Amino acid sequence: MSHQLGEEIVRLEGVVKRFGDFTALNGVDVTIREREVVVIIGPSGSGKSTLLRTINQLERHDEGRIVVDGTELTDDARTLTKIRTETGMVFQSFNLFPHLTVLRNITLAPQKVRHMPQREAEDLARSLLERVGIPEQAEKFPGQLSGGQQQRVAIARALAMNPKVMMFDEPTSALDPEMINEVLRAMEELSESGMTMICVTHEMGFARNVADRVIFMDEGEIVEIGTAEQFFNNPRRRRTKLFLDQILTH
Amino acid sequence: MTRDIPVQISIARGLRWSRANLFNSRVNSLLTIFALLVAAVLGFVVLRFVLFDANWGLVAINRKLFFVGSYPADEAFRIWIVVFLGAALASLTYGVWIGRLRSYLLTIAIVAVIILTFGLGLEFQIREFEFTNTIESGGQTTVVTGIDRQLIQSGGWAPGWLYALSFGLAVPFGGPWLLLAGVFAVLAAGAVVGRELARWRESPILRQAFGAAWVLLIPLVVVLQIGISTLHWESILLDFLVFAIGGFFSFVIGLFLALGRFSPYRAIRVASIGYIETVRAAPLLVWLLFATFLQDELGPLGVAFSSIDLVFRVMFVFAFFGGAYIAEVVRGGLQSIPRGQFEASDAIGLNATQKYAFIILPQAIKAVIPAIIGRFIALWKDTALLAAISLVNTLEKAKKVLAGQSDIAEGAFFEVYLIVALIYWVVSYLLSRLGSAAESRLGENPRQTR
Repeated sequence: MSHQLGEEIVRLEGVVKRFGDFTALNGVDVTIREREVVVIIGPSGSGKSTLLRTINQLERHDEGRIVVDGTELTDDARTLTKIRTETGMVFQSFNLFPHLTVLRNITLAPQKVRHMPQREAEDLARSLLERVGIPEQAEKFPGQLSGGQQQRVAIARALAMNPKVMMFDEPTSALDPEMINEVLRAMEELSESGMTMICVTHEMGFARNVADRVIFMDEGEIVEIGTAEQFFNNPRRRRTKLFLDQILTH
Repeated sequence: MTRDIPVQISIARGLRWSRANLFNSRVNSLLTIFALLVAAVLGFVVLRFVLFDANWGLVAINRKLFFVGSYPADEAFRIWIVVFLGAALASLTYGVWIGRLRSYLLTIAIVAVIILTFGLGLEFQIREFEFTNTIESGGQTTVVTGIDRQLIQSGGWAPGWLYALSFGLAVPFGGPWLLLAGVFAVLAAGAVVGRELARWRESPILRQAFGAAWVLLIPLVVVLQIGISTLHWESILLDFLVFAIGGFFSFVIGLFLALGRFSPYRAIRVASIGYIETVRAAPLLVWLLFATFLQDELGPLGVAFSSIDLVFRVMFVFAFFGGAYIAEVVRGGLQSIPRGQFEASDAIGLNATQKYAFIILPQAIKAVIPAIIGRFIALWKDTALLAAISLVNTLEKAKKVLAGQSDIAEGAFFEVYLIVALIYWVVSYLLSRLGSAAESRLGENPRQTR
């Protein structure tokens, strides 16, 4: 699939992240453009999640530059808030707020951070729930929903801030098999609407059908970047081939 | 006739239940019978004591002293205003945000029945009369009038009632008992009304109104005491004021200390931990004595400690001492919150204050409600220590009553201390019920599956 790509929106230059002695990211360079859908794959511990988490600064990078929508990430609190409101994130374990209703999970950030009036925020939340296919769950608590429904609420919650980039950190890994598709469908619909997306996922079908580019990471480095078709049909690097053999044959 | 059927059913159900649970084996049957025997003997002994053998005269004649000590009788309305407003506000708040009406009303009913029937029974042992004293001194004559109480009989609880019944029941349902019954009525009605208001629970106007009312209650308590020396704050009044005000601020202080331990700034973390460890290292009694004798030795700090009223110093001690313990309890709650909650709050752009106010603290506090209630119950009972620093709390008042009226006090020591225990029990019981109600209400939101 190919989307009409726009201006550059995220750029990483020589990004390094260390946890003690362990180097999670070892000089990552990548540029992502508006409306692009990028899928990051790689073995566990390869730095995929860390890469996402440096982009919204859940992890502070040690070296290199990260520029999101023309703003370079620094320690400054205002920069931090700006970046986080412009990037939405969906987690593997949903991380919904269990003490708030679905509706309130979604309206909280628009109301508190963007100072949107309650009525307006609720209308927005309901339309987002409609979009991810669960408008009837608005008044329930997260614990009353299935995993797939919770993850779709999490997507709606991230979308409520009208982000320029959506990041997905293994969004289907914690789900029962029968619920994976409903989440993937919501993500696919999002990509069709022109959202810029960076997804860490093991769903190769999604990568093949939706991604503009696929990034293969190993040991904190980007091993290979390519279009989905080239990546799956014609990988250039040995490590990529090995990895694809492992996950596609079992 | 139709009404008999459900009764028969429920009796049948009761029989079936007891057969299944109490008499399902030979050993269990023996245990059940044994337990019933013990309960019967205990119940008989207690009832016989309370109803017939006890000597309640001293309690009956001094009931005002137990409630408000030496507080001027003419000014008692100031206390009642606070009590009524507090009861109304507390019960409305309960109705709106907790709303477990059945167990609440049952609890209020139990406490009301115990206090009112017992208290009213004692009224038969005394007689109120107006007195007029003429005092002559230096050619001037002053006439003093007032109401005093006189003991007309002394003994167990039952004779008074039997006597009253035989004379066509002239229940002395006046004065403080009528007002107290009113308080219970307000407590019940407030919760029912609050339950009706609960549909606007999410409205900011309702939240702000309740917030403002609670914040205004404390200055109101203070304003209403203007002109009354704190020397007259005694007995239950003193205990409850110290507990309520000290407890309220201990919660606030505890929250800040707990958050301080998680501060990104090392200085704040170290200060919080240092404070908690220091305060917890000494017994409350020592801190109270410290506050009592804290004169102006610390004068260079520019604070004239001795000019602060002892009662207020004690409230400070309760707040700061209780705060250290609450802080540790809340810290446990904070540690139980999964990291994902912090990350999700960050990811949607909440700042640190919003993150803690809307996401972390509500969940952390909910997780430790039983422990917080436990701390409040302990703090309430710690008011017994005030007796050691020459403040006249309920316990000290009881001692004074016993010492001052030795003519009728003989053999009444046990009865008086039993009443003191009952007073501590009532508040502790209400707190504990409040805790489990809050817990079950908040437990309605099922936890997220992770």
